[in-house]
Amino acid sequence: MINAEPIRMFRRRFLPLFGGVLLLAGLRPALRSTASAVAARPALAQNPANDVCLACHGQPGMTTTLPSGETLYLTVDPQVYNNSVHGVNNQACTDCHVETSGYPHPTFQEQGVTTRRTLSLKLYRAACVQCHQDQYNAALDGVHDKALAAGDSNAAICTDCHGTHNITPPNQPRSRESQMCERCHSEIFELYKQSVHGAALLGEGNPDVPGCIDCHQVHSVEGPSSSGSFHLFSPEICRRCHADRTLMGKYNISADVFDTYVADFHGTTVALFQKASPDQQTNKPVCIDCHGVHNMRMVDDPESTVIKENLLATCQKCHPDATSNFPTSWISHYRPDPKRAPLVFFVNLFYAILIPAVLGVMVILVVLDVRKRIASRRKERQHA
Amino acid sequence: MPKAQQYRRFSISDRVEHWVLTISFGLLGLTGLVQQHVDSALATGIINLLGGIETVRLMHHIAAMVMMFETIYHIGVLGYKFFVLRTRATILPGKQDAINLVQSLRYNVGMSKDRPKQGRFTFEEKLEYWAVIWGTVVMGITGFMLWNPIATTHLLSGSFVPAAKAAHGKEALLAVLAILIWHLYHVHIRHLNLSMFKGTLNTEEMQDEHPAELADIQAGRIDPRPAAAAIARRRRVFFPVFGVLTVLMLVGIAFFVGFEKTSIATIPPAEEVVVYSPLTPTPLPTLPPAATPAPVQATATPAPGTAVETPALAAAPTWESGIGDMMKTKCGACHSSANKLGGLDLTSYQAAMAGGISGPAIVPGEANTSLLVTRQASGNHPGQLTAEELKQVTDWIEAGALEK
Repeated sequence: MINAEPIRMFRRRFLPLFGGVLLLAGLRPALRSTASAVAARPALAQNPANDVCLACHGQPGMTTTLPSGETLYLTVDPQVYNNSVHGVNNQACTDCHVETSGYPHPTFQEQGVTTRRTLSLKLYRAACVQCHQDQYNAALDGVHDKALAAGDSNAAICTDCHGTHNITPPNQPRSRESQMCERCHSEIFELYKQSVHGAALLGEGNPDVPGCIDCHQVHSVEGPSSSGSFHLFSPEICRRCHADRTLMGKYNISADVFDTYVADFHGTTVALFQKASPDQQTNKPVCIDCHGVHNMRMVDDPESTVIKENLLATCQKCHPDATSNFPTSWISHYRPDPKRAPLVFFVNLFYAILIPAVLGVMVILVVLDVRKRIASRRKERQHA
Repeated sequence: MPKAQQYRRFSISDRVEHWVLTISFGLLGLTGLVQQHVDSALATGIINLLGGIETVRLMHHIAAMVMMFETIYHIGVLGYKFFVLRTRATILPGKQDAINLVQSLRYNVGMSKDRPKQGRFTFEEKLEYWAVIWGTVVMGITGFMLWNPIATTHLLSGSFVPAAKAAHGKEALLAVLAILIWHLYHVHIRHLNLSMFKGTLNTEEMQDEHPAELADIQAGRIDPRPAAAAIARRRRVFFPVFGVLTVLMLVGIAFFVGFEKTSIATIPPAEEVVVYSPLTPTPLPTLPPAATPAPVQATATPAPGTAVETPALAAAPTWESGIGDMMKTKCGACHSSANKLGGLDLTSYQAAMAGGISGPAIVPGEANTSLLVTRQASGNHPGQLTAEELKQVTDWIEAGALEK
């Protein structure tokens, strides 16, 4: 696959940059000249009200140029902000923009800001955590923060998902949560859209199907990159809904799928690995390895990886030598019954009779022998 | 009759076979049953103790191979006894065993005063021996299918594999429980029979368990060993034939163990997808303005926060004749009594003259030292006055900054 990322980056970063440089050349000396005025900057008697900030920042088309050459858009639409969760709660601009409550604002150099991204990273660290400690702490355990710590500044921070001046409740409608993920994970989202879950969520607003965060967690986002245990424990995620008889009954889906999975080799091994070595990277298949990771379909969908026509190819992912009869050795999450798995059913029936019969006869013979021997010994003792 | 008299029951070869079987059977039972009951804490505890499920499966396979080798050896021993020594096949079940079983039952329930007079192998022993044969065959066939599911499904329908799994597990359970009930009782509890250690039983033990055999021995009714020449002749036929058979059976085991590579050993990717694939254009934290961006300019003309026209000023400006209104309009958003940025309130004459945190904003008669003028003159103040407005303010201050 050709990586389109560099081209996209170029378009996104550098084209606006050229415009910004030309337009804002006049501002640069002013930015530099304020650097020496830090000490003399007056402290505020109190934080200014939002209309003070909006007096300038409410003006349309306000921009400035960052040291990197990127254009920074400075306009905030008062209408948008006032309708946001923070606007409705009368949060002040300076609650988040703590460092820029005074005027003149500190320069970007003073703030250690070079690019638009460094500004976002700096702001969210100082701002969001003040009120949203729990969510912030949860995010520290997530894949995004780990990637960020590892130097990937593209990794999502609060504002990348929630927005900034336009924050509204993320679950209204519920599909919005998953669409936030699409911004950075558009390829995965494309697959999800085609899945039975994605189609139901995005198409009909189904409240029962999982969106991204139902499997990957919100804030403490986890995925296969976070640890080996995510793959290993992923059946537990599916189990939450697919072993729920009430929920599955609603859609006429079997709720036995989890138990029947654990009862066979794949699931047994995975269940044991979960207990013995939870961080193990394993090729033992979990639900998604057969059903698809993000594009799982209904089992009767012609595109499904587990429909009869496609099952051999799915088995061959791990069993490359498998031939046409091989897939039927998996009895499709059914509990063996005379119709669906007659051979297994009759083997079970045979042993259900043979085991008690054989052991029963043995026990009877042993018990009779024991009884007689005790009686004989007692008689011998009486004679003596 | 001297008690010390010992009767040969099992040769060293028989005893070695027994113990090899005991160890492999025990290992197979342990490592197999724990795999069947992974939902129990005891089973998972044992699995972890043995080094994890992969090790347990390896042990199970090795024990299975040991049992297969033992089976080949046992076939050889039987063949040697049958074809070379021509011993009577006393282990074969017959009508007499059924009679002995019934007699034993009658005795135990008090319908008869006599226990059955059993020979070299009692019906209890035969039951156990043939149970082992049955079990080995069932476990061997189903074990092959589980070990080689791809080879199996080349020939048979796929459902044979789960059926084999079901049979393998159930048969194992039957075998282990049968050993625990039948073997343990008859060999260890009823009497502690040590013949698999010592190889012999004494007269009393023979009288108790094998009276018919003892009677035969004491009466001299022992099958004569064939002539050495006959044995040598039969051996010359038997060993090459069995040698070929052994090679064939070993090839069979090699096929059993190493025929197919059922699954890959690597970890395939769960999904072929680029994880980080941002939408274009990537949404920005602050939305780009709809109109063409207009930069903040050093001496900007638009008045922030208002579109109200600056009122015309009188020839000799005072606060009340127009300067005050200009201040309220252009500076009042920030420098109001409510917001008071920098401690400065420019919305009333008294407040304006009081100045802010940095000092007096307006020094009457001295425009050059008035902060209001110097700040505005250097440009880029949010509420930037136009050059004309600044001149009017400067003139007003120079004229004494009068209120009226």
